[in-house]
Amino acid sequence: MSGFDGRDVKVLVIEDNQHARLLIRTVLQTLGVTTIREAKDGEDGLEVLKEFQADLVIADWKMEPMDGLVFVERIRRGADSPNPYLPIIMVTGYSEARLVIEARDAGVNEFLAKPISAKALVGRIVSVLDKPRAFVRCEAYFGPDRRRRQLPFSGGERRKPILGEG
Amino acid sequence: MSGDEPEFIQPPNTLKNKVKYGPDGVDLDMLEKAEQIIANLQGNYLEWVQDDLAKLQGFYEKAMATPEGERAKVFKDLFGVAHDVKGQGGSFGYHLMTAIGNQLCRFLEGTQKTGAAELDVVKVHLDAMRLVIGQRMEGDGGKMGENLLRGLQAVVSKVAPK
Repeated sequence: MSGFDGRDVKVLVIEDNQHARLLIRTVLQTLGVTTIREAKDGEDGLEVLKEFQADLVIADWKMEPMDGLVFVERIRRGADSPNPYLPIIMVTGYSEARLVIEARDAGVNEFLAKPISAKALVGRIVSVLDKPRAFVRCEAYFGPDRRRRQLPFSGGERRKPILGEG
Repeated sequence: MSGDEPEFIQPPNTLKNKVKYGPDGVDLDMLEKAEQIIANLQGNYLEWVQDDLAKLQGFYEKAMATPEGERAKVFKDLFGVAHDVKGQGGSFGYHLMTAIGNQLCRFLEGTQKTGAAELDVVKVHLDAMRLVIGQRMEGDGGKMGENLLRGLQAVVSKVAPK
């Protein structure tokens, strides 16, 4: 088959800007998604998730009082998290590399820079579906594997011990 | 060996179990339809953006009326609205609004000063946004858009910290 049938999918959209919410909702509806809940910030999103078992969250970064990054951290590592593996696409006007890395480190599955296009948003959703990333748990991190590809490393050790170590 | 060996977990892909789609993912017709529906919202955008322009004007006037040493909060508010303008314009075919919003954001986050010169930079960006919307300068605005952006960059380069 071709096409995309998302009628059984439940999506939570967390975005403080009502126009951006409408835009995302419109794209989701084109994909057949009908069960869409909306929240205005991270705190509101956590409240909604108490009684709405979302399969996917699309969250903005810059929101008040709780921004998208804190929301992701609460989902991944919070004691009260409804689902630490919940796929999260972060949508934001921030596109600087260091901020993308910050979002990745917080545990975001996919990152989508504004302005949003239907094509780009659908691309990220398909990416979450087609390339599910393993989760990593270690002392300093819990979240999707931050490496895009699992490639063996065949080179020599180039990292040098810091003075006083090793 | 340290005790911090990472544990790899393959979580259940509940999302994939609920979605039906072909080997090629989403077909082009569906994407075209989504893009068309968004394009149809362009008229609404031209109304919504007026709210952002009014907010920018309001914060600009508030900053003018605030002593220079106390303007940081108003500059933060200006950044917030400029960030919204940046994030939305391109979605509705107004990429030039995104470019102007982006330039204003970069200026506001880079400057440490909140004086008259900085307020002038805000004002020229606001005027440029009004022009883009007033003249319906869609896309990158062509030659006129290019000149507009170049003019704004010249103003910024005179004021922005080197």
